[in-house]
Amino acid sequence: MLEVQIKKKLPHFLVDINLTVEDEILVLVGPSGSGKTTILNAIAGLDHPDDGRITLNGNIFFCDNEKPLPTQQRNIGYLFQDYALFPHMTVEKNIAYGVKKMNAIEAEKRIERLVNTLGINHLLSKYPHQISGGEKQRVALARALATEPSLLLLDEPLSALDSRTRLECQEELQRLHATWKTPFIIVTHDMQEAEKLGDKIIFLESGLITKTVDNRSGKMIC
Amino acid sequence: MTDYSPLLLSLKVAGISTFFVFIFGVFFAHLFSRKKFFGKSIIESLFMLPLVLPPTVVGFGLLILFGKNGFIGSWLLNWFDFQVVFTWIGAVIASIVVSFPLMYQSAAAAFESLDARMENAARTMGASNWRVFWTISFRLAWPGLLAGLVLSFARGLGEFGATLMLAGYIPGKTDTIPMAIYFAVESGQMEKATFWVVIIVALGFSTIMWLNWWSRRNIERYKNDNA
Amino acid sequence: MKKIIYFLVMIFFVLLLIGCTPEDKEEKTTLMISAAASLTDVLNELKPVFEDEHPSIELTFNFGGSGKLAQMIIQGAPSDVFLSASESDMDKLQVEDMILKETRVNFAENELALIANKNQPVKVSSFDEISSATVEHLAIGEPESVPVGRYTKQVLEHLELWDSLQGSLVLSSDVRQVLTHVELGNADVGIVYASDALRSGKVTIVATADSDWHDPIMYPGAVVSDTSHSKEAKLFLAFLTSEKGQELLHKHGFK
Repeated sequence: MLEVQIKKKLPHFLVDINLTVEDEILVLVGPSGSGKTTILNAIAGLDHPDDGRITLNGNIFFCDNEKPLPTQQRNIGYLFQDYALFPHMTVEKNIAYGVKKMNAIEAEKRIERLVNTLGINHLLSKYPHQISGGEKQRVALARALATEPSLLLLDEPLSALDSRTRLECQEELQRLHATWKTPFIIVTHDMQEAEKLGDKIIFLESGLITKTVDNRSGKMIC
Repeated sequence: MTDYSPLLLSLKVAGISTFFVFIFGVFFAHLFSRKKFFGKSIIESLFMLPLVLPPTVVGFGLLILFGKNGFIGSWLLNWFDFQVVFTWIGAVIASIVVSFPLMYQSAAAAFESLDARMENAARTMGASNWRVFWTISFRLAWPGLLAGLVLSFARGLGEFGATLMLAGYIPGKTDTIPMAIYFAVESGQMEKATFWVVIIVALGFSTIMWLNWWSRRNIERYKNDNA
Repeated sequence: MKKIIYFLVMIFFVLLLIGCTPEDKEEKTTLMISAAASLTDVLNELKPVFEDEHPSIELTFNFGGSGKLAQMIIQGAPSDVFLSASESDMDKLQVEDMILKETRVNFAENELALIANKNQPVKVSSFDEISSATVEHLAIGEPESVPVGRYTKQVLEHLELWDSLQGSLVLSSDVRQVLTHVELGNADVGIVYASDALRSGKVTIVATADSDWHDPIMYPGAVVSDTSHSKEAKLFLAFLTSEKGQELLHKHGFK
């Protein structure tokens, strides 16, 4: 379970949110510049809140007066907008980048499984600039999941794709979540996508939560 | 029979100086690239200073620091019995100081233009800062770093003013190609001067030529990268 | 764009300021003297004395290496008097008819001095004590291109020291560098003109070279042919060789 309760001053407004995520898909919806990426970055440890508290399964990521846990030790997967694949490495190297050397055989099997599920077997020896947008998205997903993260953050994961690929990838994500069973946080500004993917949807505006909807029951929580 | 020692000495001095300049330049450029702190612009201006100062001023400053009675020079002499002035090491130091700005500037520009998400992505995958630097930042900044490296080497090869002050002109010990040229011209030995001019022009031209060719090829290769 | 305009306005004001500098009311004759750099101090001291004596003449100096100055005069740089530190450079002008031959005069002579740092004891007290055992670094002018270096080489060859000293010689591109090396204590000793040694407060003269160990170090002066103020130019040369002029030259280490 992920618990986030943070405050951070941004140039135009104050981000002040309080949310918990079980092993479910949480979708953050809001116009651009409403503080969505700031929240993801705070959870990932790439940026720190002014105060508050972030914990994942009892593990303290951030707490007011303590030194924040470095990104490297948080064991999260982060799918960046536009994917941020390493241009100088093949798809295979990209995916294997975060895998610890220690249990190589096990890791190899895991990657093989991932690659097969995502159907990117034929791309392994290619470089990122040689593959299409949808393929990049899958490679980036494989890369984020290859480290067996206990939390997956996805920043506008599907915005760069055409509508058909988009549909495929949405299903892909749901399937992955069903097998992975860790919290997913997806940031989007597309309402339809939010309704399709989310177990829970949180609406953000200027750094504040305007409403939270339990999408499976359709009930408004607050 | 021509004495080729100036060529060997020049290559040795420029090579060793470039090695240190590259390490220091990359280190400081990376250290400063994503940080904002008080006095950063002051330090950066200090780094760039040798680029705009007359070489003799740089040379005089180095003499004051590294001379037998200088701040650093006397310390080196007392503790390590090591003298910089009037040795080829003095030429290396002069060359380091004048070519450092070129390396720093290239490296700083290269690191600053990096996509921060690349490094962040590596971090979320558990890579240590050292690994992030080595496998991501350094590799992606490499074209810019290489440009700095080559320019520093070329600058070191051509360095004259500060070197003459710090290393002196001792035939057979500290006579680099630019010194050989200068004194040959001044004393009217045009044949000797021309010989060395041809060599240094060929060296400088081919290094820069190669850099241009290499970076063009490199740009082609990564062209479709920023999708 | 704004910056460019700002910059142009700044330049405009600077030009305005320069333009406003008050000009002399009475007509004065300005003499342009091209002089060897080693004469800088003595000529600057001599200037007010001369101008007091000749209120209608104003002196302007262009200091530089004698060879370069000669080159500039041949190229047509405006100059009324040429004061050279070497006879060969003056000869060059004379061959080209660039000077008035009859005005040529040797107005000063220099000596070679062995100098050491004031605060650093040295093991030598005369030229013939110099050896690679007593001296680690001897700073001199480069013998092929720097006049003082040429005389130095003559002295060291005369004393049969030149070959044995090869590894200890630090060759410099001008006298100033030789002085710097000794002033900072990097070279134990150096050899410069006596007049240059006197200019530096941080070195002392250990010994001076016998004048028959080297060619005479003469300073010839002459009026440049192109001058339109030959009368005033001759007055200046006469002043240099006068008692007052010579006294000042002696004070600055010239003979």
